[in-house]
Amino acid sequence: MNFDLTKEQSMIQQTAREFAEKSVAPLVEQIEASHQIPLELFKEAADLGLLAIPLPEEYGGSDAGYDGYVLALEQIGRFSASLSMAIMAHVLGLSMINTFANDEQKQMSLPPGCRGEHITSFAFTEPGTGSDPKQLTSTARREGDYYILNGTKRFITNAAYPGYMGVVFKEAESGKLTTFLIDKKAEGYSTSEPLEKIAMNGGQLLDLYFNDCKVPAANMIGQVGEGFYHLQAGIGYGKLGISAFCLGLAQAGFDAGMEYATQKMHRGTPIGVKFQAIQLMIAEMYEKLEAARLVLYKAATNANKNSRNNPAVFARDCAAAKDIVSHTAREIVGICMDIHSSYGLMKDYKVERLYREAVMMPQIESPSHIQKIIVANSILADYK
Amino acid sequence: MDIVVAMKQVPDLQQLRIRNREPVMADVPLTFGKIDKNALEAAVLLKEEHGGEVVVVAAGSEELEDTIKEAMAAGGDRSIMLADDKAGDLDSAESAEILAQLIKQVDDCGLIIFGEGSGDNYSGQVGSRVAEKLDLPQVGSVTQIIIDGEKLRLTRSLEDSVEIVEVMMPAVVIVTADLNEPRIPSVSQVLKAGRKPKEIISLDELEQPAAEKTLTTLSNLAPEVNRKRITIKSVEELVEILKTEGFVGGN
Ligand SMILES: Cc1cc2nc3c(=O)[nH]c(=O)nc-3n(C[C@H](O)[C@H](O)[C@H](O)COP(=O)(O)OP(=O)(O)OC[C@H]3O[C@@H](n4cnc5c(N)ncnc54)[C@H](O)[C@@H]3O)c2cc1C
Repeated sequence: MNFDLTKEQSMIQQTAREFAEKSVAPLVEQIEASHQIPLELFKEAADLGLLAIPLPEEYGGSDAGYDGYVLALEQIGRFSASLSMAIMAHVLGLSMINTFANDEQKQMSLPPGCRGEHITSFAFTEPGTGSDPKQLTSTARREGDYYILNGTKRFITNAAYPGYMGVVFKEAESGKLTTFLIDKKAEGYSTSEPLEKIAMNGGQLLDLYFNDCKVPAANMIGQVGEGFYHLQAGIGYGKLGISAFCLGLAQAGFDAGMEYATQKMHRGTPIGVKFQAIQLMIAEMYEKLEAARLVLYKAATNANKNSRNNPAVFARDCAAAKDIVSHTAREIVGICMDIHSSYGLMKDYKVERLYREAVMMPQIESPSHIQKIIVANSILADYK
Repeated sequence: MDIVVAMKQVPDLQQLRIRNREPVMADVPLTFGKIDKNALEAAVLLKEEHGGEVVVVAAGSEELEDTIKEAMAAGGDRSIMLADDKAGDLDSAESAEILAQLIKQVDDCGLIIFGEGSGDNYSGQVGSRVAEKLDLPQVGSVTQIIIDGEKLRLTRSLEDSVEIVEVMMPAVVIVTADLNEPRIPSVSQVLKAGRKPKEIISLDELEQPAAEKTLTTLSNLAPEVNRKRITIKSVEELVEILKTEGFVGGN
């Protein structure tokens, strides 16, 4: 059992850390205040290969695996959840396309995505459901060589940026889930204004409207009825990404907690040195962070082989990692808030933003109950 | 014409912790010194403008074989290194002797760039010593390098003045940290780094044995910081204390 990173892994981590410290950190307040991520930041990330770490080189990716991806996104997550969210949804979309699309579809969508000229989306959630494929109501109806798409998708990340998105519909004739690759400039496609959220407003979330949107049948990914596999794999990739930046968020909570514990004085002694109560909180933050990191790094390493060869195990590992790491982030940032007490509620302190962001994490990419159902079903399958 | 950069493997100072004034080395990863990265960036920029290859030379413990990938990812084209666990703690004389021998292996070497001081002990001697051993002209405190035909035009930033000098190539140029901002290597450069050509030798394979160690480090302690921990209740009080400490007002 070797827990050391390879030189390449630590260099990828370092590349992302330097990008995050030099280019992202100074823009965090601007991103949150303006509700926008500057397009140049995507370009800079793309030039460093950070927008397509696990994608194959032949399409312009870096081919550095999901382990490399997770290590890098963790570093960006220490500073900006909004940018991380956008990168996570982008890599989710690209990974799903790379796994299931045909070569023509890949040639069309992957290279501009890897170059950061396109920012990719993946849309499943609807007003009625974000977890239950059976309840989807958006439809794709065949008309000759085309499909006519109708319906509303809710809470979609990156929907306003140029590029492609993978969207899951019910194929009208069969009633089966089917995925289409759609240009975000397609006629009949429109979006809402960005929705106001509790935090991460830099990472825009929009509703999508398909109103007799006509796409060539050639844009169907795989076959009619394969949409569930695209969803299962897609959100697996998404969960790795979210977990990665949740880990970064948890690390930021740990760091902010330690800074306060060692600087806030009580009668001349730092509270972290003086009070056992604070020391217990420090230990708890550390233990939780260590455990979450190990679970995620293992899931990411295994994803390199399992995402294609063993989708059920991949789905279980990603669901478990996401459930553990997203709650860990919320717990650690909560402890950090307790160390700060009232000061933590003030906008001047970083934990105020971290806390609002951490609250969101268990809800995104399907809620905790659904992760547990995936994990339990995978275990029970071995008992049949 | 190739450009040589000499780089020293040092503990990553950002991850170094001090306990009881002593640096704790356990588990601290190795990297290259900060100014050495400036030196490499300068070489890569010159190569991008004028062609040739950037050859990185280095001497250190066997982990250097891994550390050198950082230099290859940041634009180095190939490396010549002495990687030997007996060379983990070289003094300036030893380093200079070894580096000079490594540099001699580069046939078409127009320019040899050193950082002003290494990230760990900053003795600032190795560049000059190597120039002497190779019988080459040397210019220090350089903040800008321009290649002009067979000559180099170098800007030296001194305390009160800026000096521009010209020197024929080949020459040794010793740079300061101000001359550039090293690039961040891209992920694909990182992955290609390990595949770039490298020559590795051990101490026994040197043509001439490395010089004897002439310097012994007796202690290496962080400076003592005595915080005064003075509590003040008003701005007036603060100003008063700053005055007494000699930070504001008075002569
Ligand atoms: C910042 C952000 C970004 C997002 N980006 C995207 C995106 O890019 N693309 C996209 O498609 N979606 C996206 N979403 C949507 C998100 O993935 C869904 O909101 C999420 O999956 C939950 O769906 P829901 O809100 O409809 O909850 P529901 O699925 O309706 O669940 C509501 C509650 O019921 C419980 N529940 C539901 N079903 C079961 C069950 N079978 N057993 C037990 N309990 C159950 C849930 O645990 C939850 O507590 C995003 C959301 C956010 C906040």
